[in-house]
Amino acid sequence: MMNSMNNIKEVEDLVNKTVKVLKTENIDKNQIAFEIEKLEVHRLLTVLKNTGWIQLSYLSAIDWPDENKFEVVYIVFNWEKPVYIQVRTKIDRGNPVMESILPIFPGAKYYEREAHEFFGIAFPGNPDYEKQLILENWDDIPPLRKDFDPSAYSARKFPSREYPQDFSVKDPNNKTLEKTEERKKRAKALRVGGKKQ
Amino acid sequence: MLSTKYTEKTKLTKDEIDRKWWEVGDYFRRNSLWLLMYCTGCCAVELPPSMTSAYDMERLGMGPMATPRQADILLVSGYLSLKTLRRLIYTYEQMSEPKYVIGLGSCPINGGIYHDSHAVINQLDQYIPVDVYVAGCMPNPESILNGFVDLMESIKNKTANSWKKYRDNNEWYKQNQKDALGEVIIHDEFHE
Repeated sequence: MMNSMNNIKEVEDLVNKTVKVLKTENIDKNQIAFEIEKLEVHRLLTVLKNTGWIQLSYLSAIDWPDENKFEVVYIVFNWEKPVYIQVRTKIDRGNPVMESILPIFPGAKYYEREAHEFFGIAFPGNPDYEKQLILENWDDIPPLRKDFDPSAYSARKFPSREYPQDFSVKDPNNKTLEKTEERKKRAKALRVGGKKQ
Repeated sequence: MLSTKYTEKTKLTKDEIDRKWWEVGDYFRRNSLWLLMYCTGCCAVELPPSMTSAYDMERLGMGPMATPRQADILLVSGYLSLKTLRRLIYTYEQMSEPKYVIGLGSCPINGGIYHDSHAVINQLDQYIPVDVYVAGCMPNPESILNGFVDLMESIKNKTANSWKKYRDNNEWYKQNQKDALGEVIIHDEFHE
């Protein structure tokens, strides 16, 4: 029977049979997430690819500075069954190394380069993960880490325009303000019958 | 009846002759401006209505142009990331003089909603000179056309001199470009 709940159940059984799952999260009826050990990612992705999850939709990372971890997320997609599978794994933040999945999904090449550029994660196995992709001549820590301050960087690098007068603050000496208040009061009085208060 | 007596021609100096030729040139130039649309940001979405039958830019004598070498106006539509700025400077320097720059939206003026982004510059006129700014997020087609008319007006009044400014203060602009970009030359695997 083609039913999305059945699909989720099937996926859960398959994944639990293959690897040791640390945490399972049912995101919605079309999406399920598994957190697994770093060394078992390749085995799980190979099994998923052979059972029909042939497309890598996305690869990215999340920064958890409190836990001192990076979470690498792989999302795979099946064209026959409407289920997305997220494979998550946590790696050390101080020395972030994650082996490349290039032999399994060749399309991961550019995703891994992007993750290296924005988080500084090394992907040994990918021959040019260190090449620049989006940022050019970047001169600071990777910008999507939580301890990077974009506004301080912007203030240091790009001069902001100076205005001779600050129009965002109301001037107390401005007489037009009082006139506006008067007009508002009058409008309010008219609304209740025009009697002077 | 016209006199047949010989009158000596008034001698014009070279500067005066130059000025007259520039006036003639400016007259024709401001009535047939070619836009190079380098659609950098979201303000480019306002260009189709201003170009097509709704507002009909062509009644002002303006048209889109595909190459920078044949265009008069560089239209910067929206925010500029560092990566785009590098290509924009390439494009601007390829254009033949006289060339004019129009900045659309609030992002080229002071950064707009991207004022604290690590990837987007705050002021365009630090890197290339700008003739006309059209403020708004995003500006509607009427104000874009108004900006074009302002540019024509300032060409007529000889105040659209940004390209001369770029030539005269080239070192200052180059220094600013270097401070923000590190290096203006593009290095990536697709260009090598």
